[in-house]
Amino acid sequence: MSKIAIVTDSNSGITQTEAKELGIHVLPMPFMIDGETYYEEITLSQDEFYKRLAQNADISTSQPSPESVMQLWDGLLKEYDEIVHIPMSSGLSGSCQTASMLAQDYDGKVHVVNNQRISVTQKRSVYDAIELVRTGKNGSEIKSVLEVDKFNSSIYIMIDTLYYLKKGGRITPAAAALGTLLRLKPVLQIQGEKLDAFAKARTVNQAKSIMINAIKSDIEKRFGGISPENQMYLAIAHTQNEEAAKEFKDEVQEQFPDYSVVAVDPLSLSVSCHIGPGSLAVTCCKKLN
Amino acid sequence: MGLNVIDAKMLSKMFLAGAKNLEHKKEWINELNVFPVPDGDTGTNMSMTIMSAAKEVAAIENPDMISLAKAISSGSLRGARGNSGVILSQLFRGFTKVIREYDEINVAILASACDKAVETAYKAVMKPKEGTILTVAKGAAKRANDLAMAGERDLEKFISEVIKEAEVVLAQTPDMLPVLKQAGVVDSGGQGLVEVLKGGLDAFLGKELDLSIETAPKTISAEKGAMSSNIEAQANAEIKFCYCTQFLIMLNKTFNIKQEMDFKEYLSSIGDSIVVVADDEIVKVHVHTNDPGLAMQKALRYGALTTIIIENMRLERDEKVSDMMEKQMQSPELPSSISPDADSDAPAAEHKDTGFIAVSIGEGMNEIFRSLGVDYIIEGGQTMNPSTEDMLNAIEKINADNIFIFPNNKNIILAANQAKQLTKDKKIIVIPTKTVPQGITAIINYVPDISIEENEAVMTEEVQRVATGQVTYAVRDTMIDDKEIHQGDFMGIGDKGILSVGKDLQTVAFDMILEMMSEEYELISIYYGDIIKEEQAQKLADMVKAQFSSCDVELQFGGQPIYSYIVSAE
Repeated sequence: MSKIAIVTDSNSGITQTEAKELGIHVLPMPFMIDGETYYEEITLSQDEFYKRLAQNADISTSQPSPESVMQLWDGLLKEYDEIVHIPMSSGLSGSCQTASMLAQDYDGKVHVVNNQRISVTQKRSVYDAIELVRTGKNGSEIKSVLEVDKFNSSIYIMIDTLYYLKKGGRITPAAAALGTLLRLKPVLQIQGEKLDAFAKARTVNQAKSIMINAIKSDIEKRFGGISPENQMYLAIAHTQNEEAAKEFKDEVQEQFPDYSVVAVDPLSLSVSCHIGPGSLAVTCCKKLN
Repeated sequence: MGLNVIDAKMLSKMFLAGAKNLEHKKEWINELNVFPVPDGDTGTNMSMTIMSAAKEVAAIENPDMISLAKAISSGSLRGARGNSGVILSQLFRGFTKVIREYDEINVAILASACDKAVETAYKAVMKPKEGTILTVAKGAAKRANDLAMAGERDLEKFISEVIKEAEVVLAQTPDMLPVLKQAGVVDSGGQGLVEVLKGGLDAFLGKELDLSIETAPKTISAEKGAMSSNIEAQANAEIKFCYCTQFLIMLNKTFNIKQEMDFKEYLSSIGDSIVVVADDEIVKVHVHTNDPGLAMQKALRYGALTTIIIENMRLERDEKVSDMMEKQMQSPELPSSISPDADSDAPAAEHKDTGFIAVSIGEGMNEIFRSLGVDYIIEGGQTMNPSTEDMLNAIEKINADNIFIFPNNKNIILAANQAKQLTKDKKIIVIPTKTVPQGITAIINYVPDISIEENEAVMTEEVQRVATGQVTYAVRDTMIDDKEIHQGDFMGIGDKGILSVGKDLQTVAFDMILEMMSEEYELISIYYGDIIKEEQAQKLADMVKAQFSSCDVELQFGGQPIYSYIVSAE
């Protein structure tokens, strides 16, 4: 049996400490803040990030440099036979494309998974990959299992203000429809591809119920129905909004007695910089069979 | 020795006299409104409904019963506005279904026509309420049948007796509806019906009456639509099709959907701005084309043509533009545009799945609806209830398979539903929004990714969660909900009645909000009207914010007339 290393990036929300415990490897995402480069979690904490965001700093995201990716891979391949590389969604970043290109020079030893996950759902893919390694699957089998499963997840995010969305510009044209005279709580969705407009609400409670109903409908219509036999991983995420997120977790749990809401995590900074603080999100991934 | 039969000529005269009488009394009927608001409108609505029919009746040169029945039925149906107007149109529709079978009508036929009228009207209303025009009509119909059964044949006696009974029932309406009693009025719709009948009787008795009815080709509603579109755009617009062509087809046999579609498709191959409205016997056609002959040639296959009006729009354009500018100067309080942009009249409007129509008034309100994606705004509201035809025109202008309509007033929902029934080629979904804030909430809750049915369910549900309050002033002294109201007082009117009354606008508005609030609400939106200054509105918002610190308070310019403040809590 070949020895397989699992690599992801810091968008997964997996910390360096947690990575060590899991025996996997996390590439920090670089951020340019007012012209200087910072690395998520290494030289840039969540608190520091939001502080700079509030100060209206010029923040842009970037992908891990090819050099840093290759360095990590080269080091790992001294110890491991194969690498499963799980980058953030190809719909949101060029990381995946770059990694795929680089992997061509590695004689099939590096398997870049293009399964369009981000944040909490990307983290779930990493956990799934660890599980698949344990069951004895090889690199290309893991890649194919995860890619077949790629659309079995969704994320709904209520954002607190349109300000960052407008400033950022990585949003699809549909979001332009959110521009309005009224103060709204827009609900966005990530279905693998892109951050997209989903619905509008006037109050936080309306937005929460829209998100819960959307998840319910996804499970019913896309993921095979709500039942104890069809297990889902539900999780809550937020941007600098932990109190409300914990409260939201209880509310979501109450609505889905068949499933457990597994986590309350901060959203990865690459998403945060587009939507700003104060958001709430609920995510759902179908459990691998 | 009285007359025992009425022929079509006489009935036509009676109908016109009835319409005229209602028209004359409309202001007085408006004042019978329970709420002493400045825009009581039952009289206006009923009168506009019946006048639309009267115009068609007056246009018939030698009426026979069939053409008369058609004119009354379809004219009132299309002109219907407001609840009372829609009910009146349904009464006429039922009535004419019976009489069109005869050349002359007698007591027995009239009695059975009255029955059919009442039956049809009751069916048109989802939850018929007693103490209204329906009750008055029912009482009159019952008396008519009793008389017929008893062998009465003298029409003068018969009609007088029926009207007498209608007045008796009308006088009882305050006992059936407590709100009427407290306000010290009888039901305004019932009163309108009585006026129509009385006018008819006068004509029957041969009293000298002025029956001249303007048969101008353009209905008021059409005029309104034209007036509100952007003048400049009108002036600059290249007229692609020269002749505005309108006519009615008297159908040989009922138009089926396929024929209607074929006909419309044909018309769109030769022109634009197509309106085809069909009922059982007639089809109203409106098209802009360079060859009116082709349109009529095609139409002749389905039946005989009548009321043909062809206008050269190129010649009229210059005149119209200056005319419109004058009109707009005269009514600066009713500004800009019905349509969100000048191009929405263009035939090549991009096709989409779903469109939205909202009834709204006030610059700010209109802007809010537009920013939320409404394609077409029908100017109106409590002050001016749009007719079914206004709705049909709006529906025609939107190139979409599914169209949501937000009536935003309880008095407009019926007209919207009627338009839905008359529309065959598009799916119409009427969300029964009773206030503007409900309409805003409804459209905010639209989700493109889910089905029309799911959206309808979600919107209808969310609308229930919105409480609305509106502040206006009283036009007379009255007593409602145990509150004494004096002329000139401000009133805060909630979803279920008067919430506050007083001399000071700000206090009345604030008290109204106190009454509206309950714990579950998180957001209070205040839309201030055209005569309110922003600073004044801001003061109210500050007071509300201080009182309900856990709520978000949002202040918006609504620009609506007559209602100083419209407030919602959700």
